[in-house]
Amino acid sequence: MNCEICQLKELDVEHFEIHEVLRCKILHTILFHRALGLVRPKDIDLELFEITYVQCGDVELERKVDEKIDQFLDRVDKHPNKKNQICLSFYEVKNKQPTWFTNKVERLYWEQWYINLNVAPHQKGHSGKSTSSKIVVDPEAEERTVRRAALEASLRDVLFQIIRFVNEKKDHIPPIPNLEGVSFPYEITISSSSDSAFGMEMFKRMLQTGHPTMLS
Amino acid sequence: MDLHSYPHGEHGRFEQIFNQFLLKSLHIILDSRVPMNRPPSRGGEIRKSDRWFNLVLGDRPAAMDSLSFWNRSLMEPMVIDIILVQESRYSLSEHDSRSTLATEMPAETVIERWVVQYEHQRSMAPQIGDAFYKKTYKKSIILLRSVYSMLRLLPAYKAFRKQQSFKQNCGFEINYKVCSFGSPLLRSEEESMKNYSFIPIDAQQGCLSVSVMYRKDLSDFNLDSCVSHPIEIISDYVGSPLTDPMRAFPCTSSEKGHSISFQTRGRQSAPPSPFQPPHSWSSGLQRELSSQQSQPYSASPPLYRSPYEYSSSPTEAYIQRNQNQRFPANQKAPCDEILSPPFSSSPSPSPPTKNVIPFHNRRHPETAPMSIPHPMIARSPRYLSPNLSDPNRNSLPPLSPRNTKHDSSSHESPSGIRSIRRLDSTRTGEMSNTPTNAGPKLSRDSKEDSGRFSSLLSSSSSPRVGLSRTSSRLSFQDDFGDCDCPFIVDDVDPPDNQTSSNLVARNCSEVSSLAPSTMKKSQDAAVGALVHMLKTAPPLRQESCYYNTQSSKTEFEGEVGAASEFFKPRKASDAFEELKVYRQMKDLLLSKSAAHLVSKEKTEF
Repeated sequence: MNCEICQLKELDVEHFEIHEVLRCKILHTILFHRALGLVRPKDIDLELFEITYVQCGDVELERKVDEKIDQFLDRVDKHPNKKNQICLSFYEVKNKQPTWFTNKVERLYWEQWYINLNVAPHQKGHSGKSTSSKIVVDPEAEERTVRRAALEASLRDVLFQIIRFVNEKKDHIPPIPNLEGVSFPYEITISSSSDSAFGMEMFKRMLQTGHPTMLS
Repeated sequence: MDLHSYPHGEHGRFEQIFNQFLLKSLHIILDSRVPMNRPPSRGGEIRKSDRWFNLVLGDRPAAMDSLSFWNRSLMEPMVIDIILVQESRYSLSEHDSRSTLATEMPAETVIERWVVQYEHQRSMAPQIGDAFYKKTYKKSIILLRSVYSMLRLLPAYKAFRKQQSFKQNCGFEINYKVCSFGSPLLRSEEESMKNYSFIPIDAQQGCLSVSVMYRKDLSDFNLDSCVSHPIEIISDYVGSPLTDPMRAFPCTSSEKGHSISFQTRGRQSAPPSPFQPPHSWSSGLQRELSSQQSQPYSASPPLYRSPYEYSSSPTEAYIQRNQNQRFPANQKAPCDEILSPPFSSSPSPSPPTKNVIPFHNRRHPETAPMSIPHPMIARSPRYLSPNLSDPNRNSLPPLSPRNTKHDSSSHESPSGIRSIRRLDSTRTGEMSNTPTNAGPKLSRDSKEDSGRFSSLLSSSSSPRVGLSRTSSRLSFQDDFGDCDCPFIVDDVDPPDNQTSSNLVARNCSEVSSLAPSTMKKSQDAAVGALVHMLKTAPPLRQESCYYNTQSSKTEFEGEVGAASEFFKPRKASDAFEELKVYRQMKDLLLSKSAAHLVSKEKTEF
């Protein structure tokens, strides 16, 4: 089984925008297309952008995603000025025969999404969630508005990118284990570009998913 | 495409998937583009139509009811135009020659065009098999999710949200048009539009494709000039024609050109127009749920003919015929089996089987139905007093029955008691609601009764008070529970028939004659006797069983005669008279006992 990897377009975001951007991108684009069970879609409007994304309506899923986003935010706080990345991976669980050294279940990753965010330095005292940008006459606010509009367009492009990828790659999707929530087991990992383990983790995953296997 | 060369089952399944795909995509597009009065909540109920492609969208727009979806050919695409209607005003100074024309003309612009079609490819080898159609179905699910997401990213969604928010105050309107061909667009319109095609899904001998042509920028339409009005409370909202689900949809083909505009979203079950017979949609949904369909799946002819409905084709009948076929039940298979389309020909999910308990079983867990207590029984015991001196025979209480017909092993009772017993047993037999569990109790109580009142027999000649075996008595007993009657005497063995009968005869005669020289008996026993008399007193209403005392009249004619008089239909007046008699008896007894005490004292002295 080939592991399809999608590197999404990098976005320049500010600290306060991370949460919405990640929720939108992760929930709306990816998980909604991978929750193939019975779904009652729920439209969610972003507060910072005029973008509506769709949730699966799975409360547990939303909770997990929010947890990961909070972890990402903590990591960003710890490692500022670095490119941070969230990886959403879908895998298949294969029961590996226990050997002398390993006795764990093997995961065969069949799809990985890399969400790259370039987080701007967090400016304390800055109220980023200003909705009434028109009222502000401050040139910085005007610049912020321009940047916000550009980010919105970029975010929209990223969403289009995800839709394209989802539609282009369908044959690698394995049989569905269950129809509850996200139909496939997944994991969300956080890494940053300067992390020494970042590359190792990537290499490790490449090794795990290097052998194509035939799907049933 | 030669539809006849494929197995009916396979092709029928794909046909169904494709048709449902069309419906679902239309539903998604209309939901996301045309503001309609949506139901307040989609609720928890998931219909079978929602299960298609695992996307629960709720009620379908009423606009879909009037579309002749069923008669379309597989080869014809479904073209959905999203039209932005704005009023363009011409100033008279600019168009003097056309001053007679209306100053306001609606301008319709196609801002989106969705095309859903099946592209037949003859060079492609036919794909058949369960695995193939399941794979197709899975890909269709993903495709529809993408369409759903895409609809929210395109610029027209913003216009939709604005119109949804501002209703009719936004200066524009969004309509739609569904047809099997797309009207040619102007070059300027095409240049301002962008095309996006979703990756097609491989089908049997072709592919299922969805594409959209959308306007990149809607700023030219000045959609931001919506005027927000304060929220108004419509007092007659329910009666408003705009929200009337039964409202007939306007014939848009004559009014607004080529657009089909729907302001409301009626219920599926309601026909869109009183002039149209029930459409197939509402029944179609039910057809999806029913296992047996005598009619074709898409048999109902289109009732609302518009120039943009699909034209019929020779393949219609075949499609319809194929859709009626029964498909073999899905066999259990690995994981993708759970992602099976809910084909309509499969046995419909039976309605939830209610825990219907047969009537006769329902009563088991319930308490035994209790009949209305005997009117006499409900009386307060304080009014009960045996008045042995009462010459009124009608006041005679019923004799104590000691056995019932259910218990043949019980001791025989005096004739009077027997008559009453049999009377009551017949009465019991009449009352069919008597619970069966009352049987043992009857026999049990009969023995108790016999034990209870035997002393009464032996100690005095007062009339024996019996307990009827009717359910009324049971209710009375239930009311009083197991509390002992304070006037019950000790249990004694029931006497012989002869002696008991003689005693009863004597008692009755004494009562009837109301001789002042009665046997000694305690006041308590007398009161107890009165209580039991009341218990066993027949109902006031005339009953047929009152006259069914044939078998009990052989030996005890006297008692029977007295009893028969007693068992005549009685009225309240009779009861009151009887009460008077009892009072008199009580007074007499008291006076007698007092006199006896006085005489006794005198003798002692």
